[in-house]
Amino acid sequence: MEKIKTFIHHLFIPHEENNFRAKSLHTDFLTVYVVIAFLMMMVFKQGNIHDVLGFATDISVEKLYQLTNEQRQKNNLTTLSLNPSLTLAAKRKAENMFQENYWSHYSPDGKTPWDFILGAGYKYEYAGENLAKNFLFSNGVVDAWMNSSTHRDNLLKKEYTEVGYAIVNGVLNGEQTTLVVQEFGKPMVAGEATKNIPVVPNKPMIEKNTEQIVVQKAVAPKVNFLNFSFNLNLIFMSFLILALVLDFYFASKFNVIRIGGKNTAHLLFIVFVLIGLFMSTIGTII
Amino acid sequence: MTKHFYINLQKELKNHIFDYLLLFTAGIFFLILLNIFRGQRTIEFFVLVSFAFFYIIWGVYHHIVNETLHLKTVVEYILIAFIIIFLLKIIILP
Repeated sequence: MEKIKTFIHHLFIPHEENNFRAKSLHTDFLTVYVVIAFLMMMVFKQGNIHDVLGFATDISVEKLYQLTNEQRQKNNLTTLSLNPSLTLAAKRKAENMFQENYWSHYSPDGKTPWDFILGAGYKYEYAGENLAKNFLFSNGVVDAWMNSSTHRDNLLKKEYTEVGYAIVNGVLNGEQTTLVVQEFGKPMVAGEATKNIPVVPNKPMIEKNTEQIVVQKAVAPKVNFLNFSFNLNLIFMSFLILALVLDFYFASKFNVIRIGGKNTAHLLFIVFVLIGLFMSTIGTII
Repeated sequence: MTKHFYINLQKELKNHIFDYLLLFTAGIFFLILLNIFRGQRTIEFFVLVSFAFFYIIWGVYHHIVNETLHLKTVVEYILIAFIIIFLLKIIILP
């Protein structure tokens, strides 16, 4: 126990034996961190942990479905059931976006969301579509939809009874992209008229570039892989922040004057990067 | 615990107000650029690398101005910058 105490003291508190600088911030220790971080990077890349194209997403249909129904329950609405035809429509829509290289509810050649839904054999009374791209986590996608009034209205439309999802990776406009397509519907009862509910009415944002080579693959996300590497990042950075704060505090307390980098600058840099890390988990929706 | 921390933090920031404002401004620009290019992973990673290199240059500049430049210090800035680059590459650009 005493040994562990001494080791932690040596690791975090500047004193004579560690040359008045927390051992965890010594150049040799920092070099070890760099090597570990580099190896982690290489292992994740070489190990083909993400998937064929190497996308980092932790979005799953199960989680999206669960979160959507949670939001509906919170608003006293009936939960949706997963429909295979809507799922097929969502998959075809996502694949079409990669094939024709656009990010919009409407394809460059005029295909609407309703074409995909009807094409999948789903005759609807009501139908709607939500799209998202480049999110890292399922809850980020649903939160973004809930924070946009048009998407929220769609997600909480009381008429819908069924839903289908597709999460597809591919290259869109030269960028590795993860698309999430959510198709809503209520099957048509004989004699009822069809009603389309567009998310962003008649405002297509089409970016067509036929020269791009389109590569796409349906995602089978590795269970919690991204959560794992995201948490590992947070642990690593928290450890660095703790070491810097403790070293700064004790060096100040003992009035230690030494040669070395400025802890305040290191802290500022890491804090900005951490904020950036959280920002990078947010994608875009239409 | 907080007393020593805040007094010395204040002293450090006050003594080098221009340097820290420069680093803070670069940090704000870093976040603005990340927001502008949100979802474009290659550019996001390029923005991160640029910020990390700025941080190394800032460190060298700061220690030259304060006449405390030492090889060990430069290595420290480089190592911290690269730890962050490698860690975030896993998330941003696997």
